[in-house]
Amino acid sequence: MEPKVLVINHEKCTGCRRCELVCSVYHEGVSNPSKARIKVEKWEWEGLYIPMTCRQCIDAPCMNVCPVKAIYRNEEEGRVHVDHDICIGCRSCVAVCPFGAMNFNPSEKRVFKCDLCSGEPQCVRFCDMKAVDFVTPSKESLIKKRNAAKKIADAKKLATTMSYEA
Amino acid sequence: MALDRKVAIVNLSTGKIDIKPISLEVRKKFLGGRGLAAYLLYKYVKPGCDPMGPDNAVIFSAGILGGTLASAGSRTDVMCKNPLTGLLGSGNMGGFFAPELRFAGFDHIVVLGKAPKPVYIWVNDGVVEIRDAKNLWGKSVTEAQWAVREELGDPDIKCAVCGPAAEKGVRYANVMTGIKNSNGRGGGGSVMGSKNLKMVAARGTMDIKIAHPMEALEFDKRYIEQITSAKVNQTMGALGTPFIWGATNSWGGLRTNNFQYNQLLYCDEIEPESIDEWSKKSVGEYNMTACFGCQVHCRAKYKIPDTPLARKFGVVGNYDEGPEYTSQGAFCCEPGCTRLDTLLICNHLVDQYGVDNLEIGHMIAWAMELYEEGILTNKDTGGLELRFGNDEALIEMIHQICNRSTPLGNILAEGGIRAAEKIGKNSIKYLVHVKGMGNLHSDERATPGLALNIAVASRGSDHLRSRPAIDLYHLPVDVLRKIYSSPVPYDGPLSSDHTEYIGKPWQVYWHENCYMAVDCLGTCKYHTTFLGATLPNFEDWSKVLYYNTGLEMSPKDIWDVAERCNIVERLFNIREGMKKDDPYKGEILVDRYFNEPARRGAPDVVGKTIDRQKFIEMRAEFYKYRGCDEDGVPKPETLKRLGLENIDKEPSLV
Amino acid sequence: MSEDRSTAESLRSTRTYGQVRCMNPSCMGRITPDPGAPKAKCPRCGSEWRIFWVKPGFPRVKGPVWETSQKLAQEKWAAIQAQAQQKKEEN
Repeated sequence: MEPKVLVINHEKCTGCRRCELVCSVYHEGVSNPSKARIKVEKWEWEGLYIPMTCRQCIDAPCMNVCPVKAIYRNEEEGRVHVDHDICIGCRSCVAVCPFGAMNFNPSEKRVFKCDLCSGEPQCVRFCDMKAVDFVTPSKESLIKKRNAAKKIADAKKLATTMSYEA
Repeated sequence: MALDRKVAIVNLSTGKIDIKPISLEVRKKFLGGRGLAAYLLYKYVKPGCDPMGPDNAVIFSAGILGGTLASAGSRTDVMCKNPLTGLLGSGNMGGFFAPELRFAGFDHIVVLGKAPKPVYIWVNDGVVEIRDAKNLWGKSVTEAQWAVREELGDPDIKCAVCGPAAEKGVRYANVMTGIKNSNGRGGGGSVMGSKNLKMVAARGTMDIKIAHPMEALEFDKRYIEQITSAKVNQTMGALGTPFIWGATNSWGGLRTNNFQYNQLLYCDEIEPESIDEWSKKSVGEYNMTACFGCQVHCRAKYKIPDTPLARKFGVVGNYDEGPEYTSQGAFCCEPGCTRLDTLLICNHLVDQYGVDNLEIGHMIAWAMELYEEGILTNKDTGGLELRFGNDEALIEMIHQICNRSTPLGNILAEGGIRAAEKIGKNSIKYLVHVKGMGNLHSDERATPGLALNIAVASRGSDHLRSRPAIDLYHLPVDVLRKIYSSPVPYDGPLSSDHTEYIGKPWQVYWHENCYMAVDCLGTCKYHTTFLGATLPNFEDWSKVLYYNTGLEMSPKDIWDVAERCNIVERLFNIREGMKKDDPYKGEILVDRYFNEPARRGAPDVVGKTIDRQKFIEMRAEFYKYRGCDEDGVPKPETLKRLGLENIDKEPSLV
Repeated sequence: MSEDRSTAESLRSTRTYGQVRCMNPSCMGRITPDPGAPKAKCPRCGSEWRIFWVKPGFPRVKGPVWETSQKLAQEKWAAIQAQAQQKKEEN
């Protein structure tokens, strides 16, 4: 079966940051957005909020750069995993991640990243807007197609109504 | 621990900063947020001080559930002695400041004294600093926030900031955060301005340990569902707080043309559905934004449309959020205006100036009535036709007041009672206020329960301190009984009819405790028994508090905290000169409520006034429940029961 | 901590759907607008309301039908005035 991934629709994000909250509580037992695996980046003056988290890359730069091979892909679960027993804390993965999704916890001196909550991502569970969703990659493009088509359909409907009124 | 956050006492005159812990004993007595702030205010403000002088304090507070899993633990309370009323000043805002303050290690920042030049306070991971604000002073609410992020190099800094109105000494200036979250009504911004304090900026990466994380997550899911499934919150999530307008303007509960009418006619353009339509058109289908940790998302985003008025004032295309229900009141029904662009422009201006929308709208509407009555003339207005329904004059007056740039603007910036003294000619007769604070745009002539609420509200005429808003739903008595008999028994009368007087004093008393409790917790009022009868209150909070903080407090324990904190606020007001029948500082309505019948609205509202005798009886009954004597002064046994008998003598517990 | 339902949670069963309340205080009767209808008239008191649909099956009162509402208010005001006049004459 095709494993699911986190899919983010930033247009739906209301910027509430509950995803950050539940993520840090679930993983660390503390409320602390700086320890969350997901972070909502904001352009407040334009009302734009973009949740950022690990994309679980197929050809993951973090995995490729790791000098001790502590990072590998779990193909069954579709996620990139850090083995902390092997990790030497060099932070090369933090440096190379194109999304800033690999984080470093200074008090515990170790990197951390999204682990999809072992199959039930809390950010998805708590996001009423479904700005963060958990679907298969092939479905992601189907959903996007449908949404884009809806905009065209709406414009078409509007145009038809207007010409009828005229 | 969620309980280990601290209090910083910052003296701007001396530059001294004291950091103090909050003991468990204090937590159990006051919880946090507004409740503990009231105690700090009582202890740190010099009795009888000039609110705009160095002896006043301004206190920034997060609630005990701020930044935890509790739904919308986002609220910031700001307290001071209010320059407008000379009594308790307190405001409450959403946004992201309070959680950030807690992540930075603090629950309360108490600011005393006055800085010799503009400064700001920087709170970062347990450290508090006073810094030079020369690059921030003079900047608008949003510009100042972006500038401090630039200066300190961190885009995630959250600010409690005052705007140009506060710097100019307008007596009803707000503390603001983000684009539009407003700590209104309390004059906190004005006090910041008087202290040369531009902002408190916070950034934190410290843990708030959740006492029972997995149980908290599970309970949270259920708690949020309880909140978001309510019809009222679904409506609010779609239309924002303007949704309230649909009911209140329908039956005739909005003061229109100052107080001449009680319904704004043919106002389809500024009805919530129309606002929503424009919002979506200007920012897209997903047009709602939310405060920290909230799934209701009741704040709309918008851009100002390209209209002649927007062009004239140079604000075409500007981004803002809201408008809230209160802006509809301040810039539509009170001044008698019905245009959407006016509403959106005014809302934007008050957000940028950092001024209280309700108070400024109320002042302008009052001036409009004075102008139409001939008390103010063209000579006073500099030729401005200050008539009801003159959109341009309304916008112009906002500029004049916030900049204090004209004689009339300067007078109106002082607030109603001071302005009435200057204008004279019986102008006070037209002013609709309690304790010197302008009333919300609601007209309570058909709703005695709500009338009692605004009269006894601790910060002056106000709807967020004790309003039994669900009274308007005509709920069956057995439902009312369930709500109002918990967590303490009540077997007195209750009525489903909101035009009645019986049972209302208990409801006002109950809601006063309910809202105090939610303000101590630091969560949102829309998540409790305010606009929805099925939303969480004491019983639910007992669980939320336990799972998140580990504090074991029964619903009755939380109720007792609320009682205590309400009494502290009352003691503060009495100390600063509140007397129940004082027309300026009392708990009484202006004569217009008793003498002028409502003329518009639903048939049963037409002709309504408040019955003075019955009103006085309601107030007396309320005092009785509150543990006060017939003058509204807390009885010695009440103080003893709540452990407040030594509040004057004891050294501050924090 | 007990897992039983709080008062607020138990009151959820009292929520009603698909209806609005008449906004006239002495009436407050429940009105069920026709699906998608832009207006609804109260069968009890004659007040008439403009309806907005938050989503299908979820109506709300947007505002009064101005003409009906104005007419009813003016009639009531005239009646009050007449009553006051009569009282004055009696005295």
